[in-house]
Amino acid sequence: MSSAAPAAPETNPTTSSAPTNPDIIVETRSLGKIYRDFWGRKKVQALKSLDIEVRRGEIFGLLGPNGSGKSTTIKLMLGLLFPTSGRAFVFGKEATDVAKNERIGYLPEESYLYKFLNAEETLDFYGRLFDMPASVRKERTEALINMVGLQRARRRQLREYSKGMTRRIGLAQALINEPEFLVLDEPTTGLDPIGTREMKDLIVKLREQGKTILLCSHQLADVQDVCDRVAILHQGELKELGRVDSLLKVQDVTQIHAKGLDENTKSQIRDLIAKSQGELLKMDNPTTTMEELFLDIVRDSENRPGRRSSNAS
Amino acid sequence: MRLTPDQFWTYWEWLFERGGLLGGFLLALILAVLGFIAGFLIATIKYGPAEGFLQVAKILGEFFTVDLPKMSIRRIFAIAKLSFKEAIRNRILIVVAVFVVAIMFAGWFLDPKASNPAQLYIPTVLTFTNWLMLLMGLFLSTFSIPRDIANRVMYTIVTKPVRPTEIFLGRVLGFVAVATMNLVIFGVMSYFFIVRGLSHTHDLESLQNDGLAGETTSVRFHSHSFTLNEDGVGTTNMVKGHRHIVRKVGDKVVVSEQVDDLTARNPVYGTLRFTGRDGEENTGYNVGYMSEYQKYIEGDTLSSAIWKFENVDPKLFPDVLNFDMTLSAFRTYKGDIETPVGGVVIFRSLDGEVESDRIPFRVKEFQIDQHSIPLKLKGFRKGEPADLDFFTDIAQNGSFEVVVRCRDRGQYLGMAAADLYLRASEGTFVWNFIKGYISIWLQMFIVVCFGVMFSTFLSGPVAVIATISVIVLGMFGWFIDNLTTGKISGGGPVEALVRLPLQSGSETQLDLGNEMIEGAIKGVDRGLLFSVSTLKSALPNLYDLETSDFIAYGVNLFDGLLARHLTIAFGYFLMTSVIAYFFLKTREMAG
Ligand SMILES: Nc1ncnc2c1ncn2[C@@H]1O[C@H](COP(=O)(O)OP(=O)(O)OP(=O)(O)O)[C@@H](O)[C@H]1O
Ligand SMILES: [Mg+2]
Repeated sequence: MSSAAPAAPETNPTTSSAPTNPDIIVETRSLGKIYRDFWGRKKVQALKSLDIEVRRGEIFGLLGPNGSGKSTTIKLMLGLLFPTSGRAFVFGKEATDVAKNERIGYLPEESYLYKFLNAEETLDFYGRLFDMPASVRKERTEALINMVGLQRARRRQLREYSKGMTRRIGLAQALINEPEFLVLDEPTTGLDPIGTREMKDLIVKLREQGKTILLCSHQLADVQDVCDRVAILHQGELKELGRVDSLLKVQDVTQIHAKGLDENTKSQIRDLIAKSQGELLKMDNPTTTMEELFLDIVRDSENRPGRRSSNAS
Repeated sequence: MRLTPDQFWTYWEWLFERGGLLGGFLLALILAVLGFIAGFLIATIKYGPAEGFLQVAKILGEFFTVDLPKMSIRRIFAIAKLSFKEAIRNRILIVVAVFVVAIMFAGWFLDPKASNPAQLYIPTVLTFTNWLMLLMGLFLSTFSIPRDIANRVMYTIVTKPVRPTEIFLGRVLGFVAVATMNLVIFGVMSYFFIVRGLSHTHDLESLQNDGLAGETTSVRFHSHSFTLNEDGVGTTNMVKGHRHIVRKVGDKVVVSEQVDDLTARNPVYGTLRFTGRDGEENTGYNVGYMSEYQKYIEGDTLSSAIWKFENVDPKLFPDVLNFDMTLSAFRTYKGDIETPVGGVVIFRSLDGEVESDRIPFRVKEFQIDQHSIPLKLKGFRKGEPADLDFFTDIAQNGSFEVVVRCRDRGQYLGMAAADLYLRASEGTFVWNFIKGYISIWLQMFIVVCFGVMFSTFLSGPVAVIATISVIVLGMFGWFIDNLTTGKISGGGPVEALVRLPLQSGSETQLDLGNEMIEGAIKGVDRGLLFSVSTLKSALPNLYDLETSDFIAYGVNLFDGLLARHLTIAFGYFLMTSVIAYFFLKTREMAG
């Protein structure tokens, strides 16, 4: 068991300069968040000293069990929360900077929209907030309503919408400004299997258009399907960070499937294995599932706080 | 209706000479200093002094460099439109139904026997509208932002390129638009309610003098008598605040609809001086209680009140000279309590050689006592009885004096400059009525500004309470005034604090044996008290903006006064915008 987690530095490193690399869309530097009550007493340490980067053109997944600090991280990046320690930069600017919002689309955990507006009015309203002229708003509204499949409900107030429909209008709202960087907090919750499939296809398509996407989820299959890199959080701590394919590779197991070996070679291999008291199953580097990895990490971190000894890069 | 001296200030006089601008500027300065100190303290607790200072400086800088200049009209309108829709879809128009019902009830309950129905109807309707608008402003403005934060709709707003200033301005604009729409509806309905409620005519009861004089029938608990001139035209006498024009058409005598009850007269004011019991100049008597605003003259002596009018334009008074009085009486003995205290009015030329007959009157307290004299009148020239023409004999070059004396021995009449004025017939009632509604609008606007400001950092219900408190405290501004004019013994707060451990009584002179320290303490106290009295003006006194009396009593609301109220409202708008900005800017929307 290694020592306790390093304490989050309480000082605010404002002196360190903002990142300049344009290919780093988001950068957090020992980002921490403590929720306090009205009297300033500590309630929860939701995030501890997080260091991650989201690079241009990738789909970055934030994973973690409920309450692990995923939404908190996203809110810090959007300036909805102010960090207790560390800093977050988006497009090289402080996360609280309003101007960055021009290039961002955000789909919150639940679609927090005005219930008394209908789909068209909602998109028109958010379009105005981007200072878009009427003709552009009209065109985008039209296109987005078609894209998320709400043609038949476009004039109905959102209070009448089902969960999945609300999710769809929420997504449309996040895309109204054709953002370069899209932040999706649990994009597939509330969607039916077809909707989930469409959402995943859309996310991949958006990446192909050159957009950068940060999503958080606990639908592990989704993440496995679309994400390029993931960060796994548990109790506010970063446990794993890396490419999905390398994370899922189990390094200390070799799996051998072979063809065209003669009996001699095979027996040599078997002998070799037998000599080292092993037992041959299959010769291969197997991949685990996201679910395995996830459960493993959580189990592991219950016993051993702090960053996991990494087996991936 | 009682006018206070400050209401006569012209706009520029108020702005530059009476401290309108200076007061606003000082308030801004004090609020800025306090705000900076508070911001710095909070930031220091959070980040430590150096970082805290940087944070405050950064926020201040962003206000001027980006958040103000980068505001977008389209975004402000988007939020305004949203607020408007929200209010409409929350069925704000139900208030219109409330108004209709209320006005129907008013129609039943307002006393038709009232001595002046116009002066009953107009204030009732205006006051009711006023309260309704304040309530509407209060409830419209205080709930939306807290609801957005609680529902987390704010997440999708502030992650768009929306600036705090735009949220405040958009909200205020939207709510004011909704309320304005309501106010216009109320205004039109009230107007017709008042006009229809007062409108009536009479038939003929009897005719005398070859049909050149007569009596009307009694309608609405009153009747009139009238006389006609040779051309068969005339008016009735004034009853219940109105007259009727009477005309002879062929053989028939026709009484028209009432006139003079819905007017907007322009008062012409004079300057007031007093003479004492023996005719010597003095400043009027104090009767030792009530307001210091009025001074008194003593009955049955030479003590008089003399108003001097200068350069009055004869064109303002084509047929008669109207004048109104709002005197009050002070009785040193009960006497005949039924009969009001009496007095006389005399018009005389500046040199005193020509004067009118004495015009007797009895004081009508708490009412406007309306009089008129003909322009051809009887009087005295150098003590000899004579027939006079008002503007050629008495008011040469439009300048003359009006003398008021009290007739009853041992009784007193009280007055201030505004308590006697000439009433020129000018201005339309409709426009005056609209001005009255503008006053209501301004009050509503101020309430909305404060409501939205409070809602940027308080929950809805708490914001309601805070807004109400500000309004109520604003109305008690005079109390703080007393506290801060230094009339209270024992000195200011610091001096009192020093006295406490010394156990020095508040009546004795402070003596610390060091003049420098004493001087410093007194200086700090003066500064503190001055700041408090300036800070007090951060609370709006809506009562001061109330103008329904002007409309009710048919006095054209002074444009200078309305302009002043507009400026004050704009000042509060600026103040609340800036405060709201800093709260929205520094608030964690997801906290
Ligand atoms: N406004 C808040 N006040 C106090 N504590 C909060 C607040 N928001 C979140 N928390 C706490 O912070 C921790 C992290 O919450 P967060 O919402 O970031 O989790 P999450 O990873 O998004 O979980 P989920 O998968 O359930 O959405 C939790 O312990 C939560 O209780
Ligand atoms: Mg979450």
